[in-house]
Amino acid sequence: MNSLGEDCNELKRKYDACFNLWFSERFLKGDNDDSMCAPIFKVYQECVKKAMEEQKIELREIEADYSTGDYNEKPEHSKS
Amino acid sequence: MKIWTSEHTFNHPWETVAQAAWRKYPNPMTPSIIGTDVVERKVVDGVLHTHRLVQSKWYLPKWTHKIIGTAKSCFASERSVVDPSKRQMILKTVNLTFCRHISVDEIIYYEPHPKDPTKTLLRQEASVTVHGVPLSHYMEDMVTSNISMNAGKGRLGLEWVIGRINAEVKGIAETAAKSTDDLIMTTRRSLDDMTESARKSMDEISAQAAKHMHI
Repeated sequence: MNSLGEDCNELKRKYDACFNLWFSERFLKGDNDDSMCAPIFKVYQECVKKAMEEQKIELREIEADYSTGDYNEKPEHSKS
Repeated sequence: MKIWTSEHTFNHPWETVAQAAWRKYPNPMTPSIIGTDVVERKVVDGVLHTHRLVQSKWYLPKWTHKIIGTAKSCFASERSVVDPSKRQMILKTVNLTFCRHISVDEIIYYEPHPKDPTKTLLRQEASVTVHGVPLSHYMEDMVTSNISMNAGKGRLGLEWVIGRINAEVKGIAETAAKSTDDLIMTTRRSLDDMTESARKSMDEISAQAAKHMHI
């Protein structure tokens, strides 16, 4: 699966592989420590953020605080 | 507004389905999903929160293009929570590209089947709202049927990924001495293989899928 930024594909592949391993072997087994993939995640994130800026994908539109845990909240849609 | 709901039982434990859900793309059944990126991810009180950006191609009929544009590639925002203690995974997706005229909200729940916890129940709800364009009623019908078709393909896709994971687990057991690096390499290679086979067989499989789907 590709990243939206072509330059990020390799980083994404590495991160996904790390995450899948962490998710099945640690997280699902009760280990909440997510430091295992943190370094690669950081580099991958920087790449994605840059790609989003370049493609003018507005994070503003998709950013909403989900730490409240309110899953029924809809982002504002109507502009017209 | 049009609302569509669906349920499906996977004959696999929740843990397997949750793993497969992360690895759902690419699969040959849903070539319309062309990219995913994690925008944010954190573990809070034992619950994994993820925000992903999902890029897809919608193959809507030509007559809609004049109304909503061709929208070659669409973006959707997917927020999810995975709670292993409750054995619950919830994904909520809203589309971004068509926002001016079409809002598609979708929510998917993966939970143990209430009657058989060794199986997993998928519940899916989608609502489609089209506003400010002519023929909005028809547009809603069409987008809804599109979602329904894609959901069928998505389920087949997930089964396919589960098959791969099970095969991989078997492979891992056979070569228990493999290092993590090897494992990551294998995963990476299998992802590449998936993309390749997805490309090769997507026409064939989506034709078959359409034949077998009863929605």
